[in-house]
Amino acid sequence: MRKSQNPFILEMKNISKSFGGVDALKDVSFQCRPGTVHALVGENGAGKSTLIKILAGALLPDSGEIIFKGRKHQSLSTRKALNSGISVIYQELALVSQMTVAENIFLGREPSKSFGIIDKNRLKIEAKMLLKQLGFEIDPDMEVGELTVAYQQMVEIAKALSKNADLIIMDEPSAILAGHELEQLFLIIESLKKSGVTIIYISHRLEEVFRIANEVTILKDGQLVGTKPIKDMSRGELVKMMVGRTLEEVFPVSSNQPGTFVLQVDEISTKTILNQVSFKLREGEILGVAGMVGSGRTELARAIFGADPLTSGTIKIKGQDVVFKNPADAIRNKISLVPEDRKYHGLFTELSILNNITLPILSKISRWGFTDKKKGNEIVERARQIHSIDMTSGNQEVQYLSGGNQQKVVLSKSLQTIPEVIIMDEPTRGVDVGAKFEIYQLIRQLNKDGIAILMISSELPEILGLSDRILVMREGKIVAELTPKETTEEMIIEFATTNTTVCAKKN
Amino acid sequence: MNRSFFQKHAIILVVYALILVMIVIGTFNSEYFLTLRNLTNVLRQAAYLGTVALGQMLVILIAGIDLSVGSLVKLCVLVSAILMDGDPDNVWIAVTLTLGLGLSVGLIHAFLINELNMSPFVVTFASLFILKGISLSISTKPIGRASSDFLMLYSEKFAGIYVIVFFFIILMLLMMFLLNKTIFGRHIYAVGGNLSVAQLSGISVKRVRYGVYSLCSVLAAATGLLWLMRMGVGDPVIGNGLELNTIIAVVIGGTSLFGGRGTVIGVLGGVLLLTFTDNLLVILGVSQFYGGIIKGVIFVAAVSLYKTDDS
Repeated sequence: MRKSQNPFILEMKNISKSFGGVDALKDVSFQCRPGTVHALVGENGAGKSTLIKILAGALLPDSGEIIFKGRKHQSLSTRKALNSGISVIYQELALVSQMTVAENIFLGREPSKSFGIIDKNRLKIEAKMLLKQLGFEIDPDMEVGELTVAYQQMVEIAKALSKNADLIIMDEPSAILAGHELEQLFLIIESLKKSGVTIIYISHRLEEVFRIANEVTILKDGQLVGTKPIKDMSRGELVKMMVGRTLEEVFPVSSNQPGTFVLQVDEISTKTILNQVSFKLREGEILGVAGMVGSGRTELARAIFGADPLTSGTIKIKGQDVVFKNPADAIRNKISLVPEDRKYHGLFTELSILNNITLPILSKISRWGFTDKKKGNEIVERARQIHSIDMTSGNQEVQYLSGGNQQKVVLSKSLQTIPEVIIMDEPTRGVDVGAKFEIYQLIRQLNKDGIAILMISSELPEILGLSDRILVMREGKIVAELTPKETTEEMIIEFATTNTTVCAKKN
Repeated sequence: MNRSFFQKHAIILVVYALILVMIVIGTFNSEYFLTLRNLTNVLRQAAYLGTVALGQMLVILIAGIDLSVGSLVKLCVLVSAILMDGDPDNVWIAVTLTLGLGLSVGLIHAFLINELNMSPFVVTFASLFILKGISLSISTKPIGRASSDFLMLYSEKFAGIYVIVFFFIILMLLMMFLLNKTIFGRHIYAVGGNLSVAQLSGISVKRVRYGVYSLCSVLAAATGLLWLMRMGVGDPVIGNGLELNTIIAVVIGGTSLFGGRGTVIGVLGGVLLLTFTDNLLVILGVSQFYGGIIKGVIFVAAVSLYKTDDS
């Protein structure tokens, strides 16, 4: 009946959403047919998560409308979304770790007797039945915090299914599940599809998309690239649509010959995710690190910088073994980190430019514990000239600078200690195109001055355009070492998402 | 992978073991300590701290804090004493209005936290000073009077045990029931355990906060009434520093200051440990100032133990 009136269970029309002036979604529309698996793909920051959060009612769109099961919604609150039959399996697990499996599954919808008293028996029995039906071997009385992440993901799935939703959104379940468990999930998806449930499946892994999806929608930079039936697409075509146009920026050409090894990392592992990572970095070399979010890139930076302890392996600086107990040790050994999230880890946004830039070298510009304002101002003035920071004065608070200028302040702050190795984590995130180019030039300049740079980035054009060599990480390991001249964006994505370990070129 | 009962509750068992140690020390150092009379007295004292501590526990379970409970107890003991004014006919009205006062204070706290997005620390810290100020502007000397039958309740016994102790036991049972058997109780743990998950699961976080902060303040008001039973007058000295004692008791009992974890049995352990410490100091003739040192040390030790337990 419904089919004849409207072939779609869900239509999102002209959805836009911006955060602080930055467009996360621009006029995106897409539709899902009932009883199908609809894949949603795109690079990091393409707007997938924002779209999903709007659909789940966790975010309000700035404009646009949602039509679900023939009913128009301006926006959906969480409660409304659940009641109208949409359920989300979030990437970051949405479970309360102190509560049991059964309690988590039915959180917010506990079976009750009168007076708000929970029917614990029913809770347990229903949870048990549900888990059994899904083929998950989990004790419903276990505390969720005691389960491994993969089991937690299964609980998450059970929770979503227990809501009898018509539409289930799965946000990268394969980022956590693997092997047998993933197969189990595909079987579940298959049977859900048969019973008429619609699934929106978000994934980076293309082989999964081709295996289970009926249709695929591609997003890039917050805009819709297109929606197509999967059988009409080839793998190469899909990758091309994901990566899109090659970035127009001209990358300044490298002219220097890398010198001797400054940093040698040998089979380091950490408690977090790193698993026997080895590489070498030369003086005046830019080593790009690519990989999906969660592949261990940031953890690698933290480990080298002494922020996470090593469980095994060694780090050598200029041939000498070093052990960094904390970041201060690393800084003393001429390593500097430009962290991923400048607002939280890189800057004191409420302090002045002067205070930020001079922070690492306060002792150098102080006498008997009093800072010398004149010396400080000289340093800021030099930084302004060298890095062309657009500012009114050194007393300006960093929060009033644009993203690009903030990033320049972070860079000059980390240069004050005169480092020999700089680790940059996403150096151009949240920076407009013009400022990006300036930052690229700055990186090149540092490079010319002989500083070794480890550059982590999700922006493949940046990786390809700046690096002398490229490492690709997946699941805490380095899976490929590539040279930019012989590499394409497609190749990097391929390595970052599939299961083959290749050394394209041994160094 | 299931941790055993012992592992899970190891530190709470340590708290109870410490209580046992206190009892042993007391027994060997004073003939009076292990008498029925002293023990029932200690339990009755524990009911005073415990009633407020249970409310504090609810607030801390949702990762909040209530610094105003001491001042609220103070205000309530004054208000109830003035309202009762020694007349048995006024008892019910005094009790009702005092509890109503507590309820409104709690609702105001939750309102400010929910609707104006203020931190619980700021809201209840301000409340600490405001309520104390109101109390001391009412009177700096003892004022009002309990009716004689209301006063009698303090020493009233049933089956050899003070009714106040019974009241506290019933309160604890109700609290266990609330936390473990009701939807509201499970939502308290969910909100404290992971706020965003609770929201995404469709739980009304605001409603949980209104409930929890009102309950906490009503329990503080009830403690004001218990103090009127004990003192017979409205003494503005009552309640000084109580907020800190309740927080210490709750944390010693294994409640996480970050919310989501904590049990009634644990809080009882914390309350008993603090009460026995005070009692022991009195019996041994040690200055009360040492009490502060001992409580502080136990507090730090407890928090560090729980921290290592988490990792």
